[in-house]
Amino acid sequence: MRKKTPFVSVLVAFLLVIAACGGNGGGEGSTTAPPGTGESPDTTEGSETPEAPSGDPIVVGGTLALTGPLGPTGVIHQIAGELFVDRLNEAGGLLGRPVEWRLLDDESDGARIAELYEQLISQDGVDLIIGPYATPNILAAMPVAERHGFVLPQHTAVLAPALTYACQFPGWSIGPEPNVFIPNQLADALDSLGGDISTVGLVTNEGGSTSFVSYGSPDDPDDAATVTVLPERGYEIVADIPYPIGNTEWGPVATELRDADPDIVVVNGLGVEANGLIEAMGQLDYSPPMMFALFPAPGAVLGLGDAAEGLLSVSIFEPNEPILEAMDPEVREITEEFSARVEEEGLPYTAFETQAAASWNTWEILTQAVEGVGEIDHQAMCDYLHENGADLTFAGQVEFDPASNNFWPTNQVLKQVQDGDWLVVWPEDVAVSELRGPAG
Amino acid sequence: MRKRSWVAPTAVALGLVATPVLWEITRFPVFYLVFVSGILFWAAQATSWNILSGYSGYFSFGQGAFFGVGVYTMAVLFGRHGWNWLFVVLLGGVAAMLLAAGIGAIAFRLRSLRGEIFALLTLAVPFILAAVVRLVDVIDGGQGIVVPVPAFPEAVAPFQRFYFVISAVVALLALTAAYLMQNNRYGWALFAVRDDEDVAEGLGVPTFFHKMIAIGINGLIGGMSGAVVALNLGFVSVEGTFNLRVPLFVIVMSVLGGRNHWAGPLVGAVYIHTLQNRLADAGFDGWSLIVLGTVLVLLMILAPDGLMSRFSRRPWQVSAAFVLVLAGLAMFGTWGEPVDWVAAALAAAAIVAFLPGRGVSPAQRGVSSVGLGESRAFGEAMKTRGENWTPEPVVTATDVAKSFGGVDALRGVSITVHEGELVGLVGPNGSGKTTLVNLLSGALRPTSGSIRLAGAEIVRLPPHQIAHLGIARTYQIPRPFSSLTVRDNIAVAIMFGREPKSLAESRAEAEEFLMLVGLTDLADVRPEQVNLHERQLLEMARAMATRPSLLLLDEALAGLNPVEIDNAVAVVRRIHGSGVSIVLVEHLLRVVIQLATRVIVLDQGRQLAEGTADVVLRDPAVVTAYMGKESHAPGD
Amino acid sequence: MTELQASIFGALTGSLFALMAVGLSMLWGFLKIINLAHFAMILLGGYLTVDLASRLGMSPVATILITAPLMFLIGALVQAGFDRFGVSELNSLLISYGLLIVTVQIVTNVWTADFQRMSPDINPLSLQSVAIGPFVFPMPTLLAAGFGTVLVFGAHLVLERTYAGRALQAFGQDRQIASAFGIDHRTLGLVLAGTAGASAAIAGMLFAVGEPLTPDSPFEWIGRVFAIVILGGIGNVTGTLYAGVLVGAISGLVSVLWSPSAAPLAVFSLVVLALVFRPNGLFPRKAGH
Repeated sequence: MRKKTPFVSVLVAFLLVIAACGGNGGGEGSTTAPPGTGESPDTTEGSETPEAPSGDPIVVGGTLALTGPLGPTGVIHQIAGELFVDRLNEAGGLLGRPVEWRLLDDESDGARIAELYEQLISQDGVDLIIGPYATPNILAAMPVAERHGFVLPQHTAVLAPALTYACQFPGWSIGPEPNVFIPNQLADALDSLGGDISTVGLVTNEGGSTSFVSYGSPDDPDDAATVTVLPERGYEIVADIPYPIGNTEWGPVATELRDADPDIVVVNGLGVEANGLIEAMGQLDYSPPMMFALFPAPGAVLGLGDAAEGLLSVSIFEPNEPILEAMDPEVREITEEFSARVEEEGLPYTAFETQAAASWNTWEILTQAVEGVGEIDHQAMCDYLHENGADLTFAGQVEFDPASNNFWPTNQVLKQVQDGDWLVVWPEDVAVSELRGPAG
Repeated sequence: MRKRSWVAPTAVALGLVATPVLWEITRFPVFYLVFVSGILFWAAQATSWNILSGYSGYFSFGQGAFFGVGVYTMAVLFGRHGWNWLFVVLLGGVAAMLLAAGIGAIAFRLRSLRGEIFALLTLAVPFILAAVVRLVDVIDGGQGIVVPVPAFPEAVAPFQRFYFVISAVVALLALTAAYLMQNNRYGWALFAVRDDEDVAEGLGVPTFFHKMIAIGINGLIGGMSGAVVALNLGFVSVEGTFNLRVPLFVIVMSVLGGRNHWAGPLVGAVYIHTLQNRLADAGFDGWSLIVLGTVLVLLMILAPDGLMSRFSRRPWQVSAAFVLVLAGLAMFGTWGEPVDWVAAALAAAAIVAFLPGRGVSPAQRGVSSVGLGESRAFGEAMKTRGENWTPEPVVTATDVAKSFGGVDALRGVSITVHEGELVGLVGPNGSGKTTLVNLLSGALRPTSGSIRLAGAEIVRLPPHQIAHLGIARTYQIPRPFSSLTVRDNIAVAIMFGREPKSLAESRAEAEEFLMLVGLTDLADVRPEQVNLHERQLLEMARAMATRPSLLLLDEALAGLNPVEIDNAVAVVRRIHGSGVSIVLVEHLLRVVIQLATRVIVLDQGRQLAEGTADVVLRDPAVVTAYMGKESHAPGD
Repeated sequence: MTELQASIFGALTGSLFALMAVGLSMLWGFLKIINLAHFAMILLGGYLTVDLASRLGMSPVATILITAPLMFLIGALVQAGFDRFGVSELNSLLISYGLLIVTVQIVTNVWTADFQRMSPDINPLSLQSVAIGPFVFPMPTLLAAGFGTVLVFGAHLVLERTYAGRALQAFGQDRQIASAFGIDHRTLGLVLAGTAGASAAIAGMLFAVGEPLTPDSPFEWIGRVFAIVILGGIGNVTGTLYAGVLVGAISGLVSVLWSPSAAPLAVFSLVVLALVFRPNGLFPRKAGH
């Protein structure tokens, strides 16, 4: 043991020193290509090779859950962000300067997020910030941004009432009242099926946004939400099953649903929860006529094959062919490059869809604010966005009204699994395929 | 335990007080206030954990419960209902303290709930709380609670400085409590409990009371710290609060830093928090947990007692390394940020601490030489004895029986021990001798029968009270407090005697008992370093230090060679000569014959014979009982 | 009916968790090691199953032919390390936690942080079930119950009937005396740790067959597994199985009678009550063996 000690202590010291070293603005992981070395060919119309950005880099600081329970989706935002920054640099950077994304792993830890954003802003001196992934983490970063007067664009908190900072700007908006909008949109779609559906089995993840959508705010007993809106629209709720975050026992829930026999099972849940439920129902040889899942992990659901056919969900963008054709060719380029990168990483589902689009919106809000003002002045940027809104590739022109906590009127649509793919089916004017009703 | 040193605590306190002032002057990046606040949070949590688990040995996996109660008290009362935040911090502490008291009241009363079982019980509590918080809408209901920024006095603006100040206050509370306890009777009671709870109880330490104090402090500070943190979180959720992070990391930090020292958890918090911050910062894309885990494993293997035990062997070198590296990097200026310099300096300190060479063992270094104090005359129990002195009964056991499950260890034994007697208690193996000793000392409760000490019934009393009333015992296999020196073993018994005494007084008074058994030369040595005979003498000295009127010696001479036996007999004579009544449980019949004024023979849980030694040992029934059952012949 | 079916679901899932718990319980009871790295081995076993099945087209269940021996070796290696360094009980907890987070990170790096699961064509079991009367027994957890029962009762027989088994029990009860009797605790310890590792590989396979995996999964298992270890009695293999089934059944029942969020409340309250009234577990072994 004595002989080992010096070696090991040197090793320990080495590790500690390396850790100290790495943060020193030298090599950070997850940053972007250096200026001017982007190799993807420029296929935009009217191409003239843009000038390589030059000068001091503009540093955008942020954290994401790259590990921990939120890791699976955090990684999507990482890739989308990296792609955005690369393309931005290829197109000449921001204000002619190269952009660097200083991304740290927050491990889904709220306390650490506050500390990391403080570090990014007050010690590392980043020029801009972008929010982390998932509502509780964004809420943890918000007070820090507010204290330092930094504009906080964020891509996944839709719980509008909680996001009170005037200079917070959402890249994904379900409007100021998602708890009212979502059930109404679903009811609209179900109405169009002409009365086939009348009873609902409501299954809810008892956390943050999903619980809010189902039950409204606990502080306001009169708050409308799924449990009140659907009955008002004529849909009886025959089962109401809340479950804790991280639940993996779907047998009992499936059993209850089978015995309640609703026409549609509405799962206000996240990630692979709908998956688990579908499988458990399959084991009981029970398949509800229709099913809706609020924020599922899209790839995982497709992996279920036939059992997932007909599943409804919400979306702000799907790379469906007709949609891509109708949009700028640049969009197709973006989605293809994204898919390529995701595949390289080894992730199972490669489509560029809602989460990635939300990320894209967020980065665009940030860069348009900077360009609109002409310099990095957070108060000016905040005012600019309030006055001018933003023109987003995946959402069009959006306006930020402080009275709605900047949550712009949503462009949310409904998508459905049809023949193994997610297709936009509602509202009718943007649908690429017809909404399929109850199976059988 | 080392003698109180004022350097470290003063440095810590000064540092904490100076920082916000320093910020006012230099306006260094406000991130540093936040970073240190993070360390202070962990220091408070880990130190409060250590007061219970490190000091007393009752490992708790439930720190998350106290933390969570604090967080949610703040979130609900302040976040939702707008109560005054300062008041709520106190409430959070009190609420957690009540929870702690509840857990303690259940867990500490039950003899069977020791060690692992207690740990598992505390593991379950946060899960229950999480479920309740999630289910009850009035508390959380699952959606989480937004905690707005509190109103704070302008003088400590901005928020980061205000938060630093309140974090520092809570951390200072924790550190002060740990520091004071390490060198006063509260801490010492816990150390004794950790080393051997039954023995401590038997020496007069009110173990239940002290464990409750420890868990109470743990709860109070854990709750207050949790309430403070909620102010910084902005948003509180069940899964963010009641996960394994807090319970696990307080253990990591305390064990890494050292559980025996008040500053151990603080040191652990500094190292781990700095390391985690630097790893997150490095953006090592897939290395941070690997590095953290590896460092953890290595440090646990290299320094299983924690870093402080290493640091305290060469404190000046370690401090010098830290200061020099930090200053050097600061002056050089171009490499890294201040946090990096601190990380490197910490690394340097660790290297120096792990260099080969023993350094100075704390036990040998500068232990205050305790003055001899006044040598008190023996015989507090000795009364002036007139000519017509009739010895009063000291203890009377009437018809005591004890069964364990189906086994009857004692079946209705009645004995009386009078003042000045030396009663030999003999009998073959399994006759119930040790059981009787356990009953008399209160370690076990009789299934039936009564035991009276100076006329009062003692059957329902806890052992420490029986000790204060005057019964002490030794153990067949010596059970010294392994982390205390020989002198301190005795001192503990004095500290918790009938009249509480301070550590210094107790150490002084211990001299007389060291002299009584002849261990004066070994006073500052650890029990593991002395031989069996010396340990048995220590048992006797320690028991005598409680100034009993009745001493129960349970095979105090087992395993000794003839020379040692003679020495031990002399000691027993000295003890007897001081006026203490003795019950001597012995196999060595020649010793019994030498010493005993009266002999009682037990066989299969019953009293077989009683009388003077020579008569009893020639009783044919006694001879049969011995010869027929086992092979100890009289006179070996 | 609903209640009974829900209890069946729960009981079967409980047997999977019992299988996870058995290895941990034995290591704790006999070797006084609290081995969080056990969860790391379950995780690795699960990921390897997914990988081997997806890449080589092996049947998921067959992957244990590779993973079990591998985890046996790893388990024995870890135990050898603990032995070599003379690690105390509490320190074993922390060291194994270090090993766990290292493993979690490695898994994240190799397989990404995303959900991993086998598609139904590779893993037909996930959608299958056995129907007996009006009740349904899902295949993945039914398998788990099968494996669990075989392993547990096999272990029980070894512990009670073989010399090695009794030696282990003796070692668990009093180390010093057992060693004095010449019981080679080192080899026994290695074999035991290896076996626990192999059981972890099997548990990982069963988990992968029924649920999606993420690197973070171990942290979701810890609470329930420890609850089962406590209720079953540390070191009591059959007790662990019963406790797992019981916990699962109660969980399922409470989920439908009240709500899934209330299930942990019921389970952990039971744990607290059990600890207070029956600290040796709900299913104590008969005294005097």
